[in-house]
Amino acid sequence: MPTPQLALDFRWDESADFDALIEGPNTEAVAAARAAACLPGGPLHFHGPPATAKSHILQAICGAVSARGSAAVYLPLGELCGYSPAVLSGLETTALVAVDDIDAVAGEQAWEEALFDLHNRLRELGVQLVTAARQPPEALGMGLPDLVSRLQGAVLYGLRPLGDDERLAALQRRAERRGLALPAASARYLVQRFPRDTRDLFERLDILDEASLRSRRRLTIPFIREVFGAPG
Amino acid sequence: MSETLWQACLNRLQREVPAQQLNTWIRPLQSEEGNGELRLFAPNRFVRDWVETHFYERIQELVTTQRPQQPPAVRLVVGSMVGTPEATASNDVSPEEQPAAVAEPAASSLNPNFTFDTFVEGKSNQLARAASMQVVENPGGAYNPLFIYGGVGLGKTHLMHAIGNQLLKNNRYGQVIYLHSERFVADMVKALQHNAIDAFKRHYRGVDALLIDDIQFFAGKERSQEEFFHTFNALLEGQQQVVMTCDRYPKEVNGLEERLKSRFGWGLTMAIEPPELETRVAILKRKAEDDSHELPDEVAFFIAKRIRSNIRELEGALRRVLANAQFTGQAITLDFTKHALRDLLALQDKLVSIENIQKTVAEYYKIRHADLLSKRRSRSIARPRQVAMALAKELTSHSLPEIGEAFGGRDHTTVLHASRKIAELRQSDTGVDEDYGNLVRTLST
Repeated sequence: MPTPQLALDFRWDESADFDALIEGPNTEAVAAARAAACLPGGPLHFHGPPATAKSHILQAICGAVSARGSAAVYLPLGELCGYSPAVLSGLETTALVAVDDIDAVAGEQAWEEALFDLHNRLRELGVQLVTAARQPPEALGMGLPDLVSRLQGAVLYGLRPLGDDERLAALQRRAERRGLALPAASARYLVQRFPRDTRDLFERLDILDEASLRSRRRLTIPFIREVFGAPG
Repeated sequence: MSETLWQACLNRLQREVPAQQLNTWIRPLQSEEGNGELRLFAPNRFVRDWVETHFYERIQELVTTQRPQQPPAVRLVVGSMVGTPEATASNDVSPEEQPAAVAEPAASSLNPNFTFDTFVEGKSNQLARAASMQVVENPGGAYNPLFIYGGVGLGKTHLMHAIGNQLLKNNRYGQVIYLHSERFVADMVKALQHNAIDAFKRHYRGVDALLIDDIQFFAGKERSQEEFFHTFNALLEGQQQVVMTCDRYPKEVNGLEERLKSRFGWGLTMAIEPPELETRVAILKRKAEDDSHELPDEVAFFIAKRIRSNIRELEGALRRVLANAQFTGQAITLDFTKHALRDLLALQDKLVSIENIQKTVAEYYKIRHADLLSKRRSRSIARPRQVAMALAKELTSHSLPEIGEAFGGRDHTTVLHASRKIAELRQSDTGVDEDYGNLVRTLST
């Protein structure tokens, strides 16, 4: 069997910015995020089930702040929780701190205290804090009531999953940004036949992208079936 | 210019580094150029080490590409180009990097918005407010130390800042330091690491007033307690004012030395209670006014009735309503408010179910859940059952027949009777009132 040709190793623009964001039912949340990126204010907390663009929103805010020439930091605690809470020290020197997956450290006393301390330092210096988790503050399972009450003081935005049409738009926008020709019928096929989960769709698009580069095929429905098999 | 150079590098890195990595490690860096160097400031050592390991070479390459003639050397340091005290005060800064960091421990600043004027007074906090005013009238006098305790988000910190701001305004006191107890601990650890404990002592013992927040965080930190004990004594001897807050009565803080607990009670100890409905409404109206909005009464009452756990949550909810009004340009009506707060309200409804109330009450009174639903009529069971029914009536939107049904198929008049009985008892029996208040807080948080 011939070895499949390796895909070219170049990167696409994968930046999670506001342009790539489909607001869908989350208009108010996105408006608040855009406002926070322009003018720092009180803390914001975004919550919602997986694949509701929480991380995307936080990163888009960081990107917009950075584009203004200010420092911003994005901390995915789901990935950083294996390290020391010292990663939260000194962040008040930035203009904005975005802490994602704060539920990942619920019940970890040292992390909760470090988050509490961070919250206090940022508030004192007027640095914008944006957090995200699957749940609103009171349902995170945090052990430190002081931290819960501070997080409750944030303006809370519950995020909802995109509907089918909005997922279709998100998929097409992502394909477009990556310079991929994704026919409308193929996009609809992906949205209607595979799990109703935006993140899953994006991952499928990545796989298709690579597969099409390797085999030099267009993203037709038969090709999608070849790559993923016929959905059950 | 350095900004241009670093921005140019950032623009390139943006195309090479995945967004998440860029946001976590590269975007927090601040840049400054001079003396043939491009200095990149990382907020802490962790970020600096990571950037050094993973991106340093590429950054240097990009800098060289941008300035092929005379490429500046890239230097990664911990700190901030604006040189805020906080930047130099990170725990993990080595002495070589920030030699002067410890001589003057970083004092937290007073928030000028937290004054007596902006503090909304009500039955729940009027004594604590009056005591705080007395401290301002006569600092270092009879009310020294002033110890304010109460649950989270009830306004303790606000009062403390109000004292500090007023002391400064009266020109009676020159150096007023407000800080959180965690910061005291962090400063002390840093002073010990840098062999600068004498400077630390001088700094804290030389202030005119020390306002220290949330002292429950001293629990279990013996060395910090020891140091604070001596600081505290020195200040009291010098008739310098000490104000402390805590989430509970001093004697109830586990992990705090007995001698500290006893000394904290030498001056005046004041409780601050959760605000009652009228105060919550007044707080909402005042905050909205500060933000140039007029909040209709029915909206203020609606929010205040639904959110009772603490003032922070109340303010968070209000900010959400105001933000939505701003984004949509709509007037703030009751329907608009219900829509804006739908997530919060849905969550509350989920948390405050009749079943949850029954479980919480059973746990609180140490009886079995089944007892609440049983026909037993002994006082030890009947009273908690009445409390649970009253809570179900107050905290849920279930009808009286539904509540009766959920309590072992009782009639709706039984629920009504229970509710009236508990309202009566709360007036005459402080024990029942306290239990009821505790349960409301537990269920609303």
